[in-house]
Amino acid sequence: MFFELIRLQFLKSVRSTSFAKSLLTNILLGFLVIVLLGYVLGAGLFLKMIIGELAKGQDPLVVLNSYLIYYFLFEFMYRYFIQKLPVVELESLLHLPIGKARIMHILLLRSFISPLSIISLLLFLPFSIDVVASQFGGIAASFWLGSIILTSWTLHWFMLWFKQRFEDGIIGLIVVFAALLLGGGSSYVGWFNLGEIMKPVFDFAISSPIPVAVLALVNVGSYWLCFRYYHSNAYLEDLSEEEDIRFVNQSIGFFSRFGLAGELANLEWKLIIRHKKSRTILMLSGFFLLYGLIFYRNPAYQTDDGSIHALFIFVGVFITGIFMIQYGQQFLSWNSANFDFFLNRKDGIEALVKGKYLLLSSISVVCFLASVPYSFFGWQFLFIHFATFLFNVGILIHVIIYFALWKPKPMDLNKGAMFNYEGIGAAQFLIIIPMMAGPYIIYLPFSMLIGDYAGLMALGIFGIIGLLGFKKLAQINIDRIKSNRYEISSSFRQEL
Amino acid sequence: MIQVSNLKKQYKEAVVLDVDHLEIPNTECFGLVGNNGAGKTTLFRIMLDLVRATSGTVKIKEEDVSKSETWKAKTGAYLDEHMLLVYLTPDEYFETLRKIYSMSVADLELHLSKFSDLFNDEILGKKKYIRDLSKGNLKKVGIAAALLGNPEVVFLDEPFENLDPSSQIRLKKFILQEKENSKVTFLISSHDLNHVTDICDRIVLLEKGKIIRDLREKSEMMTELEAYFTG
Repeated sequence: MFFELIRLQFLKSVRSTSFAKSLLTNILLGFLVIVLLGYVLGAGLFLKMIIGELAKGQDPLVVLNSYLIYYFLFEFMYRYFIQKLPVVELESLLHLPIGKARIMHILLLRSFISPLSIISLLLFLPFSIDVVASQFGGIAASFWLGSIILTSWTLHWFMLWFKQRFEDGIIGLIVVFAALLLGGGSSYVGWFNLGEIMKPVFDFAISSPIPVAVLALVNVGSYWLCFRYYHSNAYLEDLSEEEDIRFVNQSIGFFSRFGLAGELANLEWKLIIRHKKSRTILMLSGFFLLYGLIFYRNPAYQTDDGSIHALFIFVGVFITGIFMIQYGQQFLSWNSANFDFFLNRKDGIEALVKGKYLLLSSISVVCFLASVPYSFFGWQFLFIHFATFLFNVGILIHVIIYFALWKPKPMDLNKGAMFNYEGIGAAQFLIIIPMMAGPYIIYLPFSMLIGDYAGLMALGIFGIIGLLGFKKLAQINIDRIKSNRYEISSSFRQEL
Repeated sequence: MIQVSNLKKQYKEAVVLDVDHLEIPNTECFGLVGNNGAGKTTLFRIMLDLVRATSGTVKIKEEDVSKSETWKAKTGAYLDEHMLLVYLTPDEYFETLRKIYSMSVADLELHLSKFSDLFNDEILGKKKYIRDLSKGNLKKVGIAAALLGNPEVVFLDEPFENLDPSSQIRLKKFILQEKENSKVTFLISSHDLNHVTDICDRIVLLEKGKIIRDLREKSEMMTELEAYFTG
């Protein structure tokens, strides 16, 4: 029975329509996973040197122990975004006489077989052999490593429970933000140093088996918690994700001034907040607003004479246009389930495209306004954001959409956005080129010949020209959809 | 109302639809029957310009459907759930359509009131997305949407499928009423021979993409069709 279920799982993934179609993407992804794990292993091998370099003259083990808690907070974050829930596969099994507990055990164990589960092993095994074992002996090293890995695995079970229980809810968001705040914020601002508080636990793990034993119990406990929760919720009604209408009156009144296109912009907004995938992208745009903090404060990019580091242009494009870039990449795929609806209305395509333009530009405006506080670091950031914002809504938006219309693919909006490559084709990778190069083609000549601010002016002026020519530029994309409408609608119906 | 001439649809070598000539006059109730794969849905999709014809033309009200869009304002259709916005509630969906067709609130209410029997209080005023509705209710929403905005032509693909018996009877009554009162031309494909012969003035039988019978005599329809389908 056990192996039969495993075989079914395997067949399911091999025979899914997306598998055959995106075999190449899958191979690329597998390769990417191996490369990333290789990097993790590399980081693990050089961990001692890296710590030695960052904290000269200190005992690497002491330093590492005091920072381990941050590693786990980070792990919590990436697990929250990446880790997938196994539940969706249940529907086809529940009505069979197999026994819920067994199905649950299998699903949970299967979720455990994932690259995420060996990251902490790869990262800390070399260090434990190299440093801990040489100082305290093999047994101490295995206790230490064991408690790290068990913590990581506990996070795995905890996350399965946590995501199923709170995902998409406001509580989940609050907890994630709190973790972020605790991790980065507290010691940065100086309330308390979380690392120092948690350090004794990991120090203790070297000298005693108690932490590893306790953590093993916690691990089993968290598995049990997870299992209990899934087991008691293994009903179709809990799994089908039938939603209440939670956002009652969430139309954006402002759009209704724009006629039919405005109506469709409103529709698109509803589409975004009512589907998991688009919601995640919207949430990520919020996170990306903080992107500037990494670069703008970084001494490596600071200049004394008030000139602008070229990298900041890219950061500006990203901050003001991240939603446009991410959402626009799959321009029509978002509507793949109901594309016929638009085809079947008079001027439906035209209104749909214009509505999308309106929505993407509006969100870009919001992002720009939200980025205004960066001028606290210096007025040049306000100028950068304004210039890149104009460039985004004037030029880049058309370019992204133009590329996105190259063989759009259907996708299921109810799956999560992370590591979900539905609707992604070569075009979505190619978009990166004009997105990265475009702003620089305009900015660099002016900034080199005249000055950085002339470069920004040029970006802004090009953006304004683009805005003035909006009708013409948008028409190009509309015509492209119209002339390809049969191919697009039939690929959305998955006839090909 | 609708003229089809020399229509052909080919996927590589396979010809899936081959209609030399088909003319559907105003206010006719046109029934389309045929076994699976006969090309019924493909014919409807080509007529609605959702699929490109390999050759030939479809004209609705003298307009080539692939060349203009004005016919869409007076054409309603419900083929499958791709034509709905399933992430809206039925109320929001009708409200959106109201704006698209620039109807007044009262007009929409009047229109929906005609469906109150069919909807059976299970559709309007419920906090449920269309995607979470049952198949039958999904169909009802689609049919009501197809008839919105006073269309002159309405395409329905398998309208009776998934409906409960009393809804089937109500829908039949409703179609006959609309035909009488609003001069709507209906194009209906169905596997339910009883229903189509009941409501349609004319039934066309498709086999492997070709029209092999064109029946206009009510009295002969049923016997002819039964003879064909029993083989």
